Amino acid sequence: MAYPFSLIVVLFLGLSAMIPWRCEAGMLRGPGGEAVRGPDYPTRIVSLAPSITEILFSLGAGHRLAGATDLCDFPSEAILLPKVGRFPGPDLERIVNLRPDLCIALKNVNPADLLERLGTFGIPVYVVEPKDLSTTMETILELGRLLDAETRAEGLVGGMSSRVERVKSRVAKTGSRPGVFLQIGVTPIVSVGSHTFIDELITVSGGRNLAQGPVPYPRFSREQVLALQPEVIIITSMTRGLVFERVRDEWREWGSLPAVKNQRIFIVDSDLIDRPTARLAEGLEMLAGLIHPELF
Amino acid sequence: MNHRVVKRTLNVSVLLCLVLAASTVLGLFTGSTGQNPWEVLALITGGGDPDSVTASIIWRIRLPRVLLASMIGATLSLGGLVFQTLLRNPIAEPYVLGISGGSAVGAILGILLGLSRFPGVASFAFAGSMLTLLLVVSISSGQSSVRKDSLILAGVMVNAFCSSIIMFMVSLTRDSRLHNILFWLMGDLSITDQKQVLMLFGVLLPCFVVLFLFANSMNLLLMGEDMAAGMGVDVRLISLALLGTTSLMVSATVCHSGLLGFVGLVIPHLLRLLFGADHRVLIPACVFGGAAYLVLCDLVARTLPAHGEMPVGVVTAMIGAPLFIFLLAKSRK
Amino acid sequence: MKPSLDVRNVSLAYGRSTVLRDISFSVREGEFFIIIGPNGSGKSSLLKVIAGIARPGTGDVELFGRPLRGRSRKTLARTIAVVPQTQPMDVPFCVAEVVLMGRSPYMGLLGMESPEDLRIAENAMSFTGVSELARRKFDRLSTGERQRVLIARAICQQPRIMVLDEPTASLDLAHQVHIMELMERLRSHDGTTIIMVSHDLNLAAMYADRLLLMRSGRIISSGSPGEVLNYETLERAYGCVLLVDGNPVKNVPRITLVPAHALPPKSGG
Repeated sequence: MAYPFSLIVVLFLGLSAMIPWRCEAGMLRGPGGEAVRGPDYPTRIVSLAPSITEILFSLGAGHRLAGATDLCDFPSEAILLPKVGRFPGPDLERIVNLRPDLCIALKNVNPADLLERLGTFGIPVYVVEPKDLSTTMETILELGRLLDAETRAEGLVGGMSSRVERVKSRVAKTGSRPGVFLQIGVTPIVSVGSHTFIDELITVSGGRNLAQGPVPYPRFSREQVLALQPEVIIITSMTRGLVFERVRDEWREWGSLPAVKNQRIFIVDSDLIDRPTARLAEGLEMLAGLIHPELF
Repeated sequence: MNHRVVKRTLNVSVLLCLVLAASTVLGLFTGSTGQNPWEVLALITGGGDPDSVTASIIWRIRLPRVLLASMIGATLSLGGLVFQTLLRNPIAEPYVLGISGGSAVGAILGILLGLSRFPGVASFAFAGSMLTLLLVVSISSGQSSVRKDSLILAGVMVNAFCSSIIMFMVSLTRDSRLHNILFWLMGDLSITDQKQVLMLFGVLLPCFVVLFLFANSMNLLLMGEDMAAGMGVDVRLISLALLGTTSLMVSATVCHSGLLGFVGLVIPHLLRLLFGADHRVLIPACVFGGAAYLVLCDLVARTLPAHGEMPVGVVTAMIGAPLFIFLLAKSRK
Repeated sequence: MKPSLDVRNVSLAYGRSTVLRDISFSVREGEFFIIIGPNGSGKSSLLKVIAGIARPGTGDVELFGRPLRGRSRKTLARTIAVVPQTQPMDVPFCVAEVVLMGRSPYMGLLGMESPEDLRIAENAMSFTGVSELARRKFDRLSTGERQRVLIARAICQQPRIMVLDEPTASLDLAHQVHIMELMERLRSHDGTTIIMVSHDLNLAAMYADRLLLMRSGRIISSGSPGEVLNYETLERAYGCVLLVDGNPVKNVPRITLVPAHALPPKSGG
């Protein structure tokens, strides 16, 4: 009985592997697969991600934005932009209603179906894929080229780059790599695994991400965290509106933890370490300061 | 030719058709952006500017969505009616034989593999539901007749098992896909275009016709299988035909819209209360009435929340559950 | 003249249990034929085979000389009508609608009734005395009333053979007699063959032309009530003490149950 079923499952998986991935970084192909050219100087841009909105403003192109998502909140001018719905799944009707001449989206984050449908309405979509520090900087440069703001972009990236290098060189001077537990979820306790922005920042700023591993957002029980004996505990404000003090006090009850003994429990703004924007450099410096206060 | 039933069927159908038409028009007027109602009116009545953004939104976003909602509402209501009669169980609903579990597992698999909603995820969902249906029927297969109680039991077990698989898959998922998955599980009518709507219609219309032809046989089935057989109904054949047709059409809609609860459960009871139990009247009533109901629920889902939209499944549950309790209380008297 | 029903060497098994073993008998047209026997003797299964609802493992059944096998359900339903043992529950229709269902074998796919169908249904309802109940909900009726409605429905099929499975069980006395009288009238009026399963030996004795006594899937005895209902045969079939004497109302045997305490004490105890 199981044999034919498993055969069918395998067949389907095999078939699906043959279905080509339809979304590469760059200009999204049209509905028939044809190459699409964006406008030469787009002035009605709709950004489909908070990080993209930030980058556009930092490139000096904020005034060319016609719309952004509900979560686009930095810089503060972004809050005043017409909203196109939630992130990562905005509302098609609202986007179309703004008559954009270009949409900029995040690959594998904004729904591919939506991006394709935008194409059928004749709206060009540009897709970026920042996965870590270096690709974030590439994205900034890419968008700079796209929007005729290359000089600005190069300046931004140059600044980011030198700040990152500065942190790296100082960290290289010491061999100590304190164990860091970065908590993004309170109940249950959730941390960050490998291949995330936060993981990279922790590593670059001279720490050891204790939650490293294949699971991107692993869950921990209190016991498991205690067993890891973190020297630094960082709690992010991604869980907005919660009482961070309460969380810190809960950790303080476990006096055996090095982090508690040395009073190294901190709270940071998650946007600084989780959004692929120029502010990552700031986030990196901040983390470095918390992990290696003796160096910074 | 006696006109009693014909007249009644026509009256009910026309009435509900009008309700459906009104809901459809209302659906075109409402959306997440405020379009000028006069412009919308002009477009609907044949005038207006066909190249405007308003025209784009009305014809290519709102209309396909409203049509999809009406087809799904019709299918789920009709599916609920057929299963309630076939399984002789008043709380049977179109997903009861494992269709929801199987299609959800298939769809989530498709979403995790990064496939597009249509045809990728849709075909996975369809395959999943057909597989679980096969599983349910083979688990419960009896001798001469389709054994009802074991069907329901098998369906419940398979659905429960699939739920655990789904929860497992969800726990492994990262953010972006999770959003997609949750919206599918709660019913999502937003991803559709004219082509898909037409294809779905092509599958559903024959199913509706076939089920209508079996209307009188379903009346007879309510008298018990032996008595129905004694009056000339080929019980086994008709049961299989009803089962197959209904599962096909319900699966086809699930893979477009995800899971929408309470429609198939509540609407048949409501219409039975209003129009009687004759299937020759109820089947068209479920088609038009169920369609209107979901169009209206989708309307609410689109306009109620301040930002974005609520999943339609939430609205159907919020309206459907109290409605069902009310109908239950009424039937007790 | 061909018998209305001819059963030859019929056997039936459900899974591993054999329910009917090599059953052979025939019923003449217009006969009042009653099948009796203890529970589990296979009476209901035999009825299902006769009505074409269950297919026998071996053997043949012929209705009016034509084999049952291979005939469509619909044509069969015009010859033979069934009133099953249990009444259906949760029927959301009114009496008139239920009775009209009996016309299904003559109507098209969608079952749209003609004036003729309505007339036949009205006649059937007045025959069984349920005309005043026409607009009432079937579920709201008493058991006896429901039974009369179901019989009216069966009459609408205009069958030549009427098959009833314990139609008087759970009915009050008046209704029991009424139902049997209805069947007798059908028989004498229209020449309908009545084949019935009954648990009431005395009623069976008073109405039947011939009886068929079954036990454990086999025929123990068949013939007129006088022939079948004798003490030895009955004790063998039912396994309990019975008193058989003459019925004062009609020239047929009368069966009386003998409770244990009424028996004379065994000697030598």
